[in-house]
Amino acid sequence: MGEENNRMIFMMIAAGLGALILICLIRAVLGPTAPDRLVAMDTTNTLVVAVLVVLGAAWNEIIYVDVAIVYAMLSFVSTLYISKYLEAAQ
Amino acid sequence: MISIVQLLILAGIVVSAFFVLRFKDLLASVISLAIMSLLLSIEFYILQAPDVAIAEAAVGAGLSTAIYVIAIKNSSRWEA
Repeated sequence: MGEENNRMIFMMIAAGLGALILICLIRAVLGPTAPDRLVAMDTTNTLVVAVLVVLGAAWNEIIYVDVAIVYAMLSFVSTLYISKYLEAAQ
Repeated sequence: MISIVQLLILAGIVVSAFFVLRFKDLLASVISLAIMSLLLSIEFYILQAPDVAIAEAAVGAGLSTAIYVIAIKNSSRWEA
């Protein structure tokens, strides 16, 4: 009973984070300049890491958190590459 | 309940994949492609394949974005 309730709550949190990801996607699509889109992508990266951790908690699997750790490192690299390009382009 | 999350993620994949093709600014296309690959990574994770999700995150977010940005740097940023 408690286990099922917990899973339901974590899934609802994940659905809310998914809705926030779609809002960030709207910013990335509409954003007039490249830095707007870059910030939208960076926010989406952070939200994705949060979704991965929340879903790992919902399924009660410890090993799933490792995916979030790898993702948190790699998303930084791609943001860094694009922002270095924007800096050089100015 | 997980189907709602999955529906949101799949809608995001379709929208971002459409805009990868539609943007004239190639840097915006690359950013849209990075968003698509990270949403695809969550989708693999929801389908309970964490190893595929790690590989997709490493290739999609890290490698391919960096390589595309290097290619844009050495050619033109705007689609003719």
